[in-house]
Amino acid sequence: MKSLLEEIVKKRNCYLLLLPTFVLLFIFEYYPVFSAIYNSFFDWDGFTSPRYVGLNNFIQLIFKDPVMSVSAKNITILTVFRVLIAITIPLIAAELVFNIFNMKIAYVYRALFVIPMVVPSMVNLLVWKFVYNPQYGLLNKFLKIIGLSSLCRAWLGDFSTTLYAILFLGFPWISSLWFLIFLAGLQNISPDIFDAAKIDGVTGLNRIRFIDIPLILGQAKLVLILSTINALQGYVGIMVLTSGGPGNSTMVPGLYLYNNAFYFNKMGYACSIGVILFSILLLLTYINLKYIRSSEESQ
Amino acid sequence: MNRKFKELKHDLLFHIVITVLVFISLYPFIFMVISSFKTTEELYHNFFGLPSYFEYRNYADAWREVSPFFLNTIIVSVITMVGVLTLSSIDAYVFARFIFPGKEIIFILFLSLLMIPGILTLVPRFLVVRDLKLLNTYWALILPYIAGGQVMPVFILRSFFSSLPKELFEAAKIDGASESQCFLKIALPLSKSILFTVSLMNFLNTWNEYIWPLVTVTKAELFPITVGLVVFQSRYSGSATWGPLFAGYTIAALPIVILFLFTMRYYIAGITSGALKA
Repeated sequence: MKSLLEEIVKKRNCYLLLLPTFVLLFIFEYYPVFSAIYNSFFDWDGFTSPRYVGLNNFIQLIFKDPVMSVSAKNITILTVFRVLIAITIPLIAAELVFNIFNMKIAYVYRALFVIPMVVPSMVNLLVWKFVYNPQYGLLNKFLKIIGLSSLCRAWLGDFSTTLYAILFLGFPWISSLWFLIFLAGLQNISPDIFDAAKIDGVTGLNRIRFIDIPLILGQAKLVLILSTINALQGYVGIMVLTSGGPGNSTMVPGLYLYNNAFYFNKMGYACSIGVILFSILLLLTYINLKYIRSSEESQ
Repeated sequence: MNRKFKELKHDLLFHIVITVLVFISLYPFIFMVISSFKTTEELYHNFFGLPSYFEYRNYADAWREVSPFFLNTIIVSVITMVGVLTLSSIDAYVFARFIFPGKEIIFILFLSLLMIPGILTLVPRFLVVRDLKLLNTYWALILPYIAGGQVMPVFILRSFFSSLPKELFEAAKIDGASESQCFLKIALPLSKSILFTVSLMNFLNTWNEYIWPLVTVTKAELFPITVGLVVFQSRYSGSATWGPLFAGYTIAALPIVILFLFTMRYYIAGITSGALKA
């Protein structure tokens, strides 16, 4: 016991060097985690003294709050759609660039696909807001030109189209980050494997199916986990485009949490939404990780 | 020549599909830049075409509106970047080079932050900042950014520092170098490119923050570019003044796009190494 203490005293500089970071982390990360969980059991406006309500916030949210049920439905649709997109379309783009013989042009294409990532995301959202503008927007103007003006509408103001407009945002959905992750995976496959495949007559789509995809499963699962996390807690896009409207038809849990905390002053209730999202994320990540391990072992 | 032709024949279909995809992906931005040079009247009767002449006044108007926000974002991003880089390189060095009781537990504690979604901690962190009386100051942004922005850099730098040959440090020690000299004169200079990568990623993250400044900064003179652009947007699209609006968007996007065109190599290297480690 004494030697451990001596060791700690001897290495005190290590702890001192880590101290500034951990002080910051304690104040702005660790404490808020516990505070969020603690506050989720209280009815609290953030100013007066909190009132303990047990599991009432959760019961209210899961069984009785119609806005939360709409949010849950919307986020399920959005997440399933975005995750499916994330693991297919950027992979197709990466395969296209990867299969080009001319390396110089492939390099240029890669740079072009990365540009959307470095345009500030807010600029991207605001430009898309203009795309959907009912009077002047790009989409309605385009429909008029190709003779489909009957389809023109206020895309973000119409109950029947708003959610689809949000799904369509970013078309053709080649996320730079997922694209780069897939491309890195493909470029990391040893050329010997491709040579061997070629000799065995495995080419084209067969090669992609039997060689490329099994060898980039690691990357695919990374994209799966990250895109699920992003999609489930994301709400900036909806906040900027529709504020959850019209009505509450495009409300999502993240935005509902924000509104509860900063418009309705329901801090405890907002924390409960956060805890529910956190639990779902933990569960999904756990399932993902378990699945990754088992599928890699089976190879 | 024959080889070139064969190459082209093989690539042709790919070129067509990729060009179409790139064009559609980038078209909103192309439209934004083209429209930023048109007067509002011209946008109405010449919607898709090139501008008949360049209306530079759009940029003067837009710059007057967005430059204060722009400056705020640069101040906050640079201070955050310096803070993150300083702290995370020291932490990573300690984790990579020393053995001390509790090291594993401390590192796991650190990594556990990867599992904490920002949405869970948003409200309590706001209350912390409010109770520390930091609302409506740059520190309300900078301090939490420095805290949360360190996880990935420490993770990346630690594995880089561990990969440096131990003999280098031992030789320096024999020559009488102190541990801080080893860090400043050996470890840091050898990690220039990875440090650069890490700083770029951090810079871009700070640049894109929207929700946090929205709740912690309510004074317009402290708004970062993201929040400022939304204010600017609602004013100018309300009055349908499109030319200056698109000029404002272009001003907000251009410096970052140019910075990254020159440094793309480092940025892609960072993502690639991350993707392969996974």
